[in-house]
Amino acid sequence: MLDKIESLYASFQNEITPLDKQADVLNLKASYIGKKGSLAEVLKGLKDATPEERKAIGPRSNEIKKNIEQAIVDKLKDLEVKEINEKLEKNKIDISLRDSLMENGLQAAGTHPVHQIQRKIEDIFLSMGFEVLDGPHVEDEFHNFEALNIPETHPARDMQDTFWFADKKHLLRTHTSTIQIRGMEERKPPFAFVGPGKVFRCERTDTTHEMVFHQLEGMMVGKGINTGHLIYFMKTLLKEIFKKDMEVRLRPGYFPFVEPGFELDIRWKKPDPKDESAKHSGWLELLPCGMVHPNVLRAGGVDPDEYTGFAFGLGLDRLVMVNYQIEDIRHLHRGDLRFNEQFSFF
Amino acid sequence: MLISLNWIKDFVKLPEIGIHDIANDFTMKTAEVEGVEKRNVHLTKIKTAKILSHKKHPEADKLNLVTFDYGSGTAEVVCGAPNVRDGLVVAYAPIGVTLPNGLTLEPKKIRGVLSEGMLCSESELGLGEGSKGIMELPEDTKLGMTMTEYLDAKEDYIIDVDNKSLTHRPDLWGMFGIAREFSAIYDSPLCTPFSSDWQKKLEGLFTKDKSPITPKVEKDCSGKAFWGLSVDGVKVEDSPQWMQDRLNAVGLRPINNIVDISNYVMMELGMPLHIYDRELIKDNTIHVKLSGKEQTFTTLDEMERKVLPTDTVICDSEKPLVLAGIMGGANSGVNDNTSKVFIEVANWQAEEVRKTSVRLGLRTDSSSRYEKSLDSQLTYRTLLRTLELIKELCPEAQVIGKAEYDGDDLNAEKPLEITTSSKYLNNILGTSLSFEEIKKILTNLDFQVSEEKETFNILVPSYRSTKDIEGQHDIAEEVGRIVGYDNIPVKSPMLGVNPVGLTPYKQVERKVQDFMALKANALEVMSYPLVGKKLLEKASWDNLNEEMVLINALSTDADRMRPSLIPSLLEMAAINTKNFNSYRFFEWGRAYLPETKNFVNERNILSVAFFNKECTPFLSLLNVVEDFLNYMKLPAKFLGEGELKGENPLMPLSWRGKHPYEYQDIFIRGKALGVVSSVHPIVLRDFKIKGHLSIAQFDLTDFTKTEIKTKESYKPLAKFPAAQFDCTVLVDKGQQAADVLSIQKKLKIKDLKSMKIVQVYPLNETQNSVTVRFSYEDPEKTLEPEVIKSYEDQCVKNLESAGFPLKS
Repeated sequence: MLDKIESLYASFQNEITPLDKQADVLNLKASYIGKKGSLAEVLKGLKDATPEERKAIGPRSNEIKKNIEQAIVDKLKDLEVKEINEKLEKNKIDISLRDSLMENGLQAAGTHPVHQIQRKIEDIFLSMGFEVLDGPHVEDEFHNFEALNIPETHPARDMQDTFWFADKKHLLRTHTSTIQIRGMEERKPPFAFVGPGKVFRCERTDTTHEMVFHQLEGMMVGKGINTGHLIYFMKTLLKEIFKKDMEVRLRPGYFPFVEPGFELDIRWKKPDPKDESAKHSGWLELLPCGMVHPNVLRAGGVDPDEYTGFAFGLGLDRLVMVNYQIEDIRHLHRGDLRFNEQFSFF
Repeated sequence: MLISLNWIKDFVKLPEIGIHDIANDFTMKTAEVEGVEKRNVHLTKIKTAKILSHKKHPEADKLNLVTFDYGSGTAEVVCGAPNVRDGLVVAYAPIGVTLPNGLTLEPKKIRGVLSEGMLCSESELGLGEGSKGIMELPEDTKLGMTMTEYLDAKEDYIIDVDNKSLTHRPDLWGMFGIAREFSAIYDSPLCTPFSSDWQKKLEGLFTKDKSPITPKVEKDCSGKAFWGLSVDGVKVEDSPQWMQDRLNAVGLRPINNIVDISNYVMMELGMPLHIYDRELIKDNTIHVKLSGKEQTFTTLDEMERKVLPTDTVICDSEKPLVLAGIMGGANSGVNDNTSKVFIEVANWQAEEVRKTSVRLGLRTDSSSRYEKSLDSQLTYRTLLRTLELIKELCPEAQVIGKAEYDGDDLNAEKPLEITTSSKYLNNILGTSLSFEEIKKILTNLDFQVSEEKETFNILVPSYRSTKDIEGQHDIAEEVGRIVGYDNIPVKSPMLGVNPVGLTPYKQVERKVQDFMALKANALEVMSYPLVGKKLLEKASWDNLNEEMVLINALSTDADRMRPSLIPSLLEMAAINTKNFNSYRFFEWGRAYLPETKNFVNERNILSVAFFNKECTPFLSLLNVVEDFLNYMKLPAKFLGEGELKGENPLMPLSWRGKHPYEYQDIFIRGKALGVVSSVHPIVLRDFKIKGHLSIAQFDLTDFTKTEIKTKESYKPLAKFPAAQFDCTVLVDKGQQAADVLSIQKKLKIKDLKSMKIVQVYPLNETQNSVTVRFSYEDPEKTLEPEVIKSYEDQCVKNLESAGFPLKS
């Protein structure tokens, strides 16, 4: 009898495979495991079997019945999937046509590369407790020069090629250092802030010179702020920008609004160990900085006998150009989207 | 500024380290070195030689084959010089030498004859113009000497220092001052030859005679100090080779011994001076005064200069001789026949020299030094050093009388005294230097330091206090730079921790940038805040912003602040229509409007451009704008053409670029702060833009000053189902479909949740069918069918009475 059941199961398996209609599958199910199905027929003979035979047949026949039920369920699902897929095929889309492959005009979007680096630096300083300030582009002589320790007769005024308005009192700010003064006027020490923005120089434009460019000013004032602290923040800034420890050097630099004043250079090219002169080259002048001149603190309403501070200025365009190896600074203001799209977010 | 290392070594012993290390130390401790060059290398390989015989080149008439003896052998070269003759002593450059003009001598056949190097002219040796042909050396010159030995021109290194980094250091515009820096950098004693014995020795040359010239300096002019000395019996000729070599080394052209001495002393001591031919000074009068009238004056360089009444000039009894501190005149300079001279060593007010030199565009070695504020105390030393060199080069020269002076009382000037403490210096530098270390650095820099108690006093050398050194912060720099900033310990300050947030300005800026990039799919651009009249006119922009014109613009294309971002936007749009069929860009920039009280009113503007070649992007832009205002939490009203009372400052009514239909004013918090418009084809044509351009402008200045505050609350979700009702009405084609929605205001249905347009369908020539969907919702209960029915009736009635009949 066991043999009969086994051969029944085998013939079920043979029969179900070629079926491709739901009704046929259901009929097959009825013919094998329905109330009057062949399995039930065979099992009618169970009453004549010996107790030993029953022990063997009972579990096996249950198992086969379960298998058949499962096979039927699977088969029905398969048939249904096949049916749906046929419909899906009719509505098939061409998944190769991604926007980026289509001539759909310009799809790129994103912010200007100078603003991208500016925000990155703003965020670095925000994370270290610096506010982010701004100021007017059209300035007066006081904020651009006098307050920054550059009196009218100072040769440094020659160094800053200034755009003047007809009243000869107003001008376009030549540096973001004006933000130092405005920031100090509104605050009591201790404080720390950065101030990014546009600056203007009356300078013929060429591939490396612009009449409009961007600086980021920074200032920290408090009790006992010293040169070592300045270097700490500068090194931290560079490490965050370049995501590695940068080799830097600090050398004397002359700016009327700081004393002592420094130029901070970063190592930009690896020196050639064979070349003696190369040991001292490969430096990129990146940011002027220094301890705020007492006259500047005073102009901002801060008592220099009580407080000290540092300040720095960073050229953002320079950083962008170096970072992306841009050959012509004038691209930044030209608005040719073939340039801007290269810095797009997506 | 070029520094000759050999010259420096006259005054200080340098350590045995490479030139690049020396240059680097100078960069790190004093001022930036821009380059280092080795000088006179070729002269070590060029030898003196005597011509033994010469004969014509077989192939060329103008060339000679010259055989000569160079001490350790003989050689033959092909030579084209006209002055070749037997017995002539010449300079021979063998194969392998690289001459200053860059030519490296290689074994080479000239017209078939091999030449073993060349005989050189002065100019080929880098020794100036010289005479025609090869250089002729005296007959008794020892053969086989190197030119280095012969010329006493040693190999040298020239260090080029960035002038800008020396702006504040008038004392570093001479070799002696530079030597003092090296003395401090290397803690190596400065050898100063200018002792009191030296002074006495030179004063011994003065005579009892009455000085022929006694200078007179008027108080109201820029003269601060003026020394004059008359010397007779000078002989004008070429300077000795060593002096010419040094002047060449620092970039000055040798002229004659007297002029060269004045340049040499200036390069050595940093103080300019002037030597006159005394016989050209009328009536032996030297009068320093304001010009008093406008006149023309011919300077040494043969250029006519306009002198203003307020310029200081040095005059004789009838005419100006020198433009004070800037340049001498062509009428009184030293010439080949000069034998009697008058030496002037003076000091001038820096600002006056600078003003005149800037005005005349005449920057000389002299004016660029004076404008940095020189020290009057150094004038006498400079005069004596000049005299010393004149006696050295013209031993027959005789002083007549003595050094005569007029000007400020030099003894009245007291040295600047600064009080500081080790604590202050260490506090500002972040160092822990001992008093002894500080004292050593300052002493090497010629400061006098008193003993330390709590504080100590420093006497500043007069040449450092003309402007540079004012207070103890300046002392901190002196100490810091010599210690080396790289040797300062780096540490974070210990500060209180406070929260920092973004200012309203930054919040707006970031939201604008993020939204425009991520949601509006636009690229950010930057245009110049400066524009020109031409662009404004091209954009039909009537406000030319004449009040915001710069007086020193670089070009008329960028000579004023922009009154609006629209003209620059159009210019950029034009650039890009060539390359793209569609694009979107935005700028977050400023417009600058004149204002009486504050001179200028800077407005923070968001400017957006959408372009499409085929169809108008106006509606896409309008949708973006609506989203933008929601994102900014700025509730706004959109007003169509003619709905706004008064003018929108962002886009004047008269602007020709305004579109007659695709136009909306945006009213935010009681002000017209935005506008969206397509640009009229007539303006597009002026920019050669072919396609459709829609633009938006927002003035967000108000919201950059105070944070945008909003009330936001939550409404519980509806518990009962909403009922919807669609109906289709007829709308004339001349009307806008959304006009249908205007009936909402008239409906008195508290349960009305929304009314939206589902579909617009063109029905016939004159009418559209517009399907609208009403949605009703009661938060408390499910709406009864009869209530819904009454709502529906009310809606239909209102639609019909508003002129929108139901479609049958």
